[in-house]
Amino acid sequence: MNGVLQQVEWESPLVEPFPDPALQSYARRRWGVPNPMIAYFASVPWMARAVIDLHPEYGLLMHLDQTVADLIVLVVSQENSCRFCYAAVRALLWAQGMSWARIERMEQDLTRADLPPRTMAAVAFGRSQSRSGPAGARAARETLRRSGLGIEEMKEIAFTAALTDFNNRAHTIPAIPAYPVESMPDRFYVRLLRPLLGLIVKRHRYRGRPTALDPAPPYAYGRLVESYAGSPIGAILARTLAEMWVSPHLTRRCKLLMLAVIARGLGCEVCAPEVNEALRGEGLKESILAQVLTHLDAPELDPIERLLVPFARETIWYEPAPLQRRARMLRDRLSGPQLLEAIGVASLANGLCRMGAAVLNQ
Amino acid sequence: MTGPFAVVSLLVLLAGLAVAIYRQWRQNRTLRAQLEAIATDLEHLQQSCARLVPAGVLQHLIADGVKSGIDAAAPERKVVTVLFADLVGSTAMSDRLEPAVLARVLNGYFQRMSDAIHEHRGHVAHFLGDGIVAYFGALQPNPWQSSDAVRAALAMRAALREYNVELGREGLPLLALGIGIDRGVGLVGLVGSRERMEYDFVGRTVNVAARVQTLTRIHQADILVTEALRTELDARFVLVPMPAEFVKGIAEPVVTYAVREGPSAPAPSTEEAGAR
Repeated sequence: MNGVLQQVEWESPLVEPFPDPALQSYARRRWGVPNPMIAYFASVPWMARAVIDLHPEYGLLMHLDQTVADLIVLVVSQENSCRFCYAAVRALLWAQGMSWARIERMEQDLTRADLPPRTMAAVAFGRSQSRSGPAGARAARETLRRSGLGIEEMKEIAFTAALTDFNNRAHTIPAIPAYPVESMPDRFYVRLLRPLLGLIVKRHRYRGRPTALDPAPPYAYGRLVESYAGSPIGAILARTLAEMWVSPHLTRRCKLLMLAVIARGLGCEVCAPEVNEALRGEGLKESILAQVLTHLDAPELDPIERLLVPFARETIWYEPAPLQRRARMLRDRLSGPQLLEAIGVASLANGLCRMGAAVLNQ
Repeated sequence: MTGPFAVVSLLVLLAGLAVAIYRQWRQNRTLRAQLEAIATDLEHLQQSCARLVPAGVLQHLIADGVKSGIDAAAPERKVVTVLFADLVGSTAMSDRLEPAVLARVLNGYFQRMSDAIHEHRGHVAHFLGDGIVAYFGALQPNPWQSSDAVRAALAMRAALREYNVELGREGLPLLALGIGIDRGVGLVGLVGSRERMEYDFVGRTVNVAARVQTLTRIHQADILVTEALRTELDARFVLVPMPAEFVKGIAEPVVTYAVREGPSAPAPSTEEAGAR
């Protein structure tokens, strides 16, 4: 399986790494180990923090079995052909003491019918969400329900699939180098330090605890965040969204337009009204919004919006190399932070839209 | 006597056991390697199939087995845009060229056209002789399927122009293309016999696109779109109305528009678009 993903074409990185000691130390505190790749996200702090925080191993899941969560991450990364995330989750499992043979057996298990029905249903849900999006949400949710999963577990499954969708795009679109992660377990010193690494990773891994939700974020996705009230997921999503809205590299209207395009492209009936309402609040006329959503352009848009509206659409269903090439074309016309923020917004919207359809569209 | 004999027997037994264990270990290793190779092949196959069949259908086929997968992927109604492309004068060309040369020319043509379609999120469903049938919006939801199809047609025109330069350099006959595009509701899903099934789109739209393609010769235009498609395009596409024509199998005359250019200027405002 890993061999197949290693054949996925991967461009050279679109963004420059930018060492940020504070960010590195934040990542080390959260994960226990340094993550040199986080330097690629440093110019857009909310995105870097989201990449660190939106991880199912560290204090976000209260109900879902951790192994099932790992399988969902594996299967969604596989579906999205994200070489980076796939290699990262394999390396994480290996560092925690799992042999390659066991990891490979686990990968083969993903297509086998002898897994427990709940695990099978969770894996099928992960696949369906990345392949079909909201269109397949109802059927995938029914499968989860029939397998006996409770509502809280179902919400955590939807979240795990969504955060993987986010992470896959956040690493794939800027072509964050996958090779260092893929080859890491082969390095002599890493193999030597493996028991220590495993110990550190296991010590930092922890289950979520009930967390109060600060006011839900304004503009969009408020309902979705509120549906996770009481869970650490709600709190982390609220903070990520709040930081995204105030980030200065793109205007709020531009971000909302990207969200609206992704909601339309996915056919999401849950997120679209909320996003469109927020755009009206930004003073965008109904007719202009209709034109943007129909033709992915309008003369009333500013030059950056006119670039990013069609780009948002590209991120919905994609193959890594063509998407990376399209993102590269934007590099000459946007600053590094603008491009990275655009990638972050599109990645988050793809995850949240799929998650909204799965959780709210009952 | 019993002592040394027992020791020798035990050693022989242990050696035999060691050999058996070693053989078993080697056999296991070989089997595991074969299993991994098969798993990799299957993964390749699954990825290749994903290009031919929508992901949801493939998922059903894998998870539920072919029979129930087919049941689960029963055709459903969808709006799809159909692009029908055909080479002009290909019969004369096939008479003139050696089979090997003809195959090379056609393969080069198919590759370039498929790339242009794929680049604009289309799905090549069939090669019919030297014709191509492509669907937009059949595999995954695509609200921008009509402009994708016209952009694909424009990319095909540009790719053919470049290909003709190459063919001209080799002294080979130049190719010309006719493309018809229509949009409409039809059945999408796995259809066919027990022995052979295809993921296909069934409906009037396929016939209309094919008939519109034949009108390209009458109207001397390489890309024609129907009225149903025109209403979905934004005003930046430069379209020229053509006289309505009767075509085989359709009772009413078909109104078509020749596509001259794609969008290059900024999108017009909603008022301008309304006035168009």
